[in-house]
Parts: sequence; structure tokens; C-alpha cells
Amino acid sequence: MNSALNHKRFRPRPLHTAACWLGIVLFFALCASPAISMFGLSFISDDGGLSFAHYRRLLAEPRQQSLLLNSVLLGTGASTLAILLGAPLGLLLGRSDVRGKTWWRLALVVPLVVPPYVLALAWTQWAGATGLPAEWTYSLTSAVCILGLSFYPLVMLATEAAARRVQASLEEAALLVAAPSRVAIKITLPLIAPAIAAAALVVFVLALAEFGVPGLLRVNVFTTDVFTAFAALYDFGAATALSVPLLLVTLLAAVLAARLTGEARLTARQSGRAGLALHLGGWRIVADGLLLFVLLVSVCLPLLALAREAASLSRLVAAFKDSGDAVLNSLAWSSAGATLAVTLALLPAYARARMKSQRAAQLFDLLFITLFAVPGTVVGVGLIGLWNRPGTAAIYTSPLIIVLAYLTRFAPVAALLLAAGMRQMPISLEEAAAVSGASWWRSFTRIVLPNLKSSLAAAWAVVFIFAFGEIGATILVAPPGEATLPVRLYTLIANTSASNVAALALTQVLIAVLPLALFAAFTHGKERAQ
Amino acid sequence: MNAVNPMRNGLLELAAVTKRFAGRAAVENVSLTVAAGEIIALLGASGCGKTTTLRLIAGLETPDAGEIRLGGERVAAAQQNIVPPHQRGIGFVFQDLALWPHLTVEGNLDFVLASGHMPKRERKARITETLRMVRAEAFIHRSPAQLSGGEQQRVALARALVGHPRLLLLDEPMAHLDAHLKAELLGELQALQQRLQLTTVYITHDRAEAERLTPRIMLMEAGRITSH
Repeated sequence: MNSALNHKRFRPRPLHTAACWLGIVLFFALCASPAISMFGLSFISDDGGLSFAHYRRLLAEPRQQSLLLNSVLLGTGASTLAILLGAPLGLLLGRSDVRGKTWWRLALVVPLVVPPYVLALAWTQWAGATGLPAEWTYSLTSAVCILGLSFYPLVMLATEAAARRVQASLEEAALLVAAPSRVAIKITLPLIAPAIAAAALVVFVLALAEFGVPGLLRVNVFTTDVFTAFAALYDFGAATALSVPLLLVTLLAAVLAARLTGEARLTARQSGRAGLALHLGGWRIVADGLLLFVLLVSVCLPLLALAREAASLSRLVAAFKDSGDAVLNSLAWSSAGATLAVTLALLPAYARARMKSQRAAQLFDLLFITLFAVPGTVVGVGLIGLWNRPGTAAIYTSPLIIVLAYLTRFAPVAALLLAAGMRQMPISLEEAAAVSGASWWRSFTRIVLPNLKSSLAAAWAVVFIFAFGEIGATILVAPPGEATLPVRLYTLIANTSASNVAALALTQVLIAVLPLALFAAFTHGKERAQ
Repeated sequence: MNAVNPMRNGLLELAAVTKRFAGRAAVENVSLTVAAGEIIALLGASGCGKTTTLRLIAGLETPDAGEIRLGGERVAAAQQNIVPPHQRGIGFVFQDLALWPHLTVEGNLDFVLASGHMPKRERKARITETLRMVRAEAFIHRSPAQLSGGEQQRVALARALVGHPRLLLLDEPMAHLDAHLKAELLGELQALQQRLQLTTVYITHDRAEAERLTPRIMLMEAGRITSH
């Protein structure tokens, strides 16, 4: 072994190890199978033969065009709003001398951990209380605004990270020949634009995949129609065929996002110095006003609307008692889902991080992003098609199917986050372990994993938060009597008083925000200790 | 030794310049004069304050004390940058070269000239002429990522020269090159500097490199110039 090492720089070869292959196969088998099965089943006619019957039937319906239009409008509208709010906020946090950045950042991230349908619920309750006409409350415009407000933190965080990553000397070199405003427009913005565009595409895909908000606001899009076709009309064929255009648009957006993030990585490098700083001066009040306005609209007002509707603490306690089983179910299964998703994502993420071939790495990124973008309702119907068989009834009729849904939907996010974390780790750490005689497995468990602690924790928390708010797939696959909190909430909306629903929605928000608050307290404590 | 240099006819003059970061002096009471057309080398180990000195001259940092004059004009004084960086007429080659990755080689040079409001036709001619001077005209339409280390080096030099600066500052530009390429480029730089009579401040931690370029070497240690 040593002679080989003397002649050639050692590189771990994850793809050559059985463990990695097994991990990759298992990961893709679990995460991709529902979407693939939906795609395949859309070509199977009711009598079991190969045909385009479902498509012919759907194409004949003029309704399809309005579905496509609504879906695309929802996606573009939400991503445009997310850019308009998120990019300036990201620049303020990344480059300006605005005060209290840590707290602003944490507060403004809250909409990301609150499920979007909770915002929609707050909106309908506020609109109901103020007597807003129903056609305004339940409209595509409202859905666009709510999803834009839910997802702007993604653009904000991406913009801030990109603005911080730009090599300072790139801007300084420009400052030597041009005024700061010209540097900002011609150098800084083009360098961070790919990151903003990639985040906006992710928002587009998430809005397209969203089920809860258009469902609540009675906006007909592909995801709600897949749900109706399956759950109300028991038309499995139509549900599968409806999923395919959604899958195609999602794939297209994912390809673009993967390309953009690839370029963003090339152009941006870590730098200790900040390049072009934004000294607010007299504009500070405008910046503070913008931050406060977004926080009010996206966090404070919706929560106030819910609190007003819930009216009292006793109602909150009663709601928690009534739906305590659903809360506990959600906590248990989201934790199980997050733990399994992170475990399942480890090896594919490692393979991605250590790949020598740029093309294969891009393909993995693309697969992770595409799989994450598959809408919940598509995953739900796909899982039913796959697991609702006599041989797998034990899984299908138990909560395991919910955990599987979480795994399918969110293990790709875990893989993306873990791969990013592993890429930060110098390969020399593993090379040092290898030349010291450690096996690959020993080096993986004793060197890689311990150095990946913060990425593992972050990936777990992100999957947990997503799973805790998941509704599109869960509402389809949840076995009778095994409701999660979002499913309970969603089904109660039509059947119980608004105040009960508001109390339950607040419970959901409190549980989702709790980890964020703990994180804030932890980092604050750490900063003070330093 | 660090007293204000009485010679007042230099193109670049630093008088008792001090810069502190978080209370620690990075540059302390530095005075130096560079005559027009002269090349000086600032030699010192990493962290000795030579890069900060260069950044103060360029206007990328503001001095805490002392003053900086360029062509007799006061460009910076204690706590104030009187003339902003882009009006100082400085060409700068950064240690990491800092070629703008989203622009081609031509775009990199054009940004400099367009920022100075030069008409488009003149810009084109100037870019071609400058690239020819550093033997990089073949790369005009390439992006920085498509160039080798030596090629990037030439383009970075071309970008610093294209605006006809009155002062050229080079911050360890050869640090990442192999010995052979370094020798070749140093020779070219020297020839170019003599031909253009360009006032130049060159930073390096390599004594041989400094000696090869100029007889006027200043040694920096812990933020001070310890010998001329």
C-alpha cells in the first residue's frame, strides 16, 4: 500500500467501495421510486395495457391550460416577490452597517420554519375578520403573496452568503478605477446574481410543489388537482398523468438551478476581508424600516391574527390536549424521518463531495435538487402506487409509510447540505488517516463524521422542520387514525371553529420556532462566552 | 530613521503613516519617498505590514495618522481619504490577481477604460496595444478561468497598465508561480518598467526577487521600515 502511496497522491475512492455503492443505490431507490413509478403508471391504461389514454383524456380538457397557467403564475409570482424582498435584505445583512444583524437574520428566517399554509390560514382569518371580499381572500394573487412571504428567506440567505463570499480583491481592483456605485452594478451584482437566480428557481420549484396554500385558498394548480383526482375522484390514472407536466417543469427548473449554483461556486471564494461595504449613513432609517416592514408582514401580523382568533391561552391548552396525539405523532415521526434521512444521505453526499469527475458531480447535484423538487402530492400518490400491495401492507397501513414519505421528500435536502459540508473539509484529513493505516470505514467514522458535526446537526434540523410541516404527501398516505399535526389542522379547517384551528396553528408555529430560538440562545451564549 | 523624509520632489510620499487594526499597529510611522520613474521593493515576512502599506497608498485603507501625497497632492491624511481610490491614477496587481471571472480578458481591461469615460474606439485600440505589450493578445476573448497561471499574471499586469496609471503597485504578484516562470516574468516586468518609466512599488518576501528587480530595497519588520 505504501509504495502505491509514494507514487500517487492518495484519493479515497468512495465509488469503488461497496458501502458507497450500496448507499447510493438505496438512496436513489427510495427517493426516486415514487416519481418514476408515477411517470411509468401514467402510460398504463385502466385495463393494464400501454397507452396514452390518460393523456388524451386530460389534453381534451380545456381546464389543463388554466392549470398550467395558474401553476406557472404561482411559481413566477412567488419567486419574483421572494427576490424583491429577499435580495435587498440579503445585501443589507451581508454588506451594510445595519445594527443587530444576528437578530434580524434569525427573526427574518422564521417564515421558513413556519409551514406556508399557516400563513395562508392567518390570512384567511384576518381577511374574514376585516370583511375582505372572498374573491380577494381566495385568489391567485393572495397565494402568490403568501408563498413569496414564506420563501423570501431562501433568497435572503443565498444573497447574503454570496455577497459575503465575493473575493474582496475583485471589488477592490474595481474600486481603483471606478466609483463605488459602478463597482456595485458592474462587478458585485453580476458576481452574486447566479446565487440569487438559483435561490429564486428553488423558490419557483417549491411554490410549484406547494399544496397547502393553493388548497386552502382554492386556487386550482397541478398539485391540488393531483390530490382531487386521487382522493376525491379515485382516478389514479388522471392523478399520474397530471403529475407528469409538473415533474417536467420541476426538472427544467432544477437543471437551471443546478447550472447556476455550479457557476456560482466557480466565481465565489472565501475571503477574510469585506470588499465593498455599504455605509448607510442617513439611509439607515430606510433600511431599518424595510427590515421591520418585512418582519411585520411575514411574521408578526400573521401570528397576531392567529393569536387574536385563538383568543386565550386556555384555548391553546385545550387545542393541544385535543390534538396532543397528532402533535406527539408529528414530533416522533419527524424525528425518525430526520434521523433516517440524514443517515440515508450520508454516503451519497460523501460520494458527491469526493467525486473527481466534474460532470458526475453536477449530475448528483441535479438529482438531489430534482428529487427535492418533486411535489408532495406526487410523492404521496407514487408511494401509494408502490406500497399499497398485499406484500407490503404491514408498512402501508402503519406510520412507517409517513416516515417513508418524509425520507423520500427530504433526504435529498440532507444530501445537498451534507455534501456542501463535506466539500469544506480538506481531503488531506482523510489522506492523513489513510497513510496512518486506517481503513476507509475507520477514517469515515472517526475522521469524517466527527468533523461534520455541525453539518449533520443542520441537516437534521432542516429535515425535521420540513417534515414537521409536510402536508402534500402525508395527507394522502397517512393511515386512518394516524394523523400528523398538519393533517389534523388541514382536515379541521372545514369542520371546527376558526379559533380551534388558530390555536392548533399557533401550537405548530411554537414547536417549529422552538429549535430556532434554542439555536439563537446557543449562538448568543457562545458569542458572549467568546 | 523613521523621520519624515525631507525630499519633497517624489511622485509618492508617505509621511509618518500609521495604521492600526483592533488597536494593533499594522503599519507604524512609515515614511518613504519614491521618485518619478523609480522602482522600489518593499521586502518583509508575511504580516510585517507591507500589504497594508500598499493598500494605504491605493486608498483601500485609511491611515490613522500621517499623510500620503501623490504627485505633490495630498491624497490621504489622518482618518481621511481625501482622494478616493479611483481618482488616484493607480494600477494595482493583487496577490490573487483578482481578475473578474464574469468578464473576458477584453472585458477586464475595458472596465478600466470605460470607467474613465474613454470613447469606445480608442478603448479597443488601447486594449490591443496593452495586451500586445505584455504578450497576451492571443487571450483577448478568453475568460480568466481558461488561462494558465502565467497567462493570468500577464493579463493582470495588462489590466493594471491599460489606464496609463501614474503609479504601479504590485502585491507579491509572483507568489504562486514556479521559479522558471517567475524569472521570465520578472525580466519582462523590468524591461517594461524601464521602457515606460513607470513609478513602481513592488512587494515581496523573496530577497532574490527584490534584488533582481531593483537596487532600492526597503526592509519592513513589524510595521516599520527598518532599513533602506
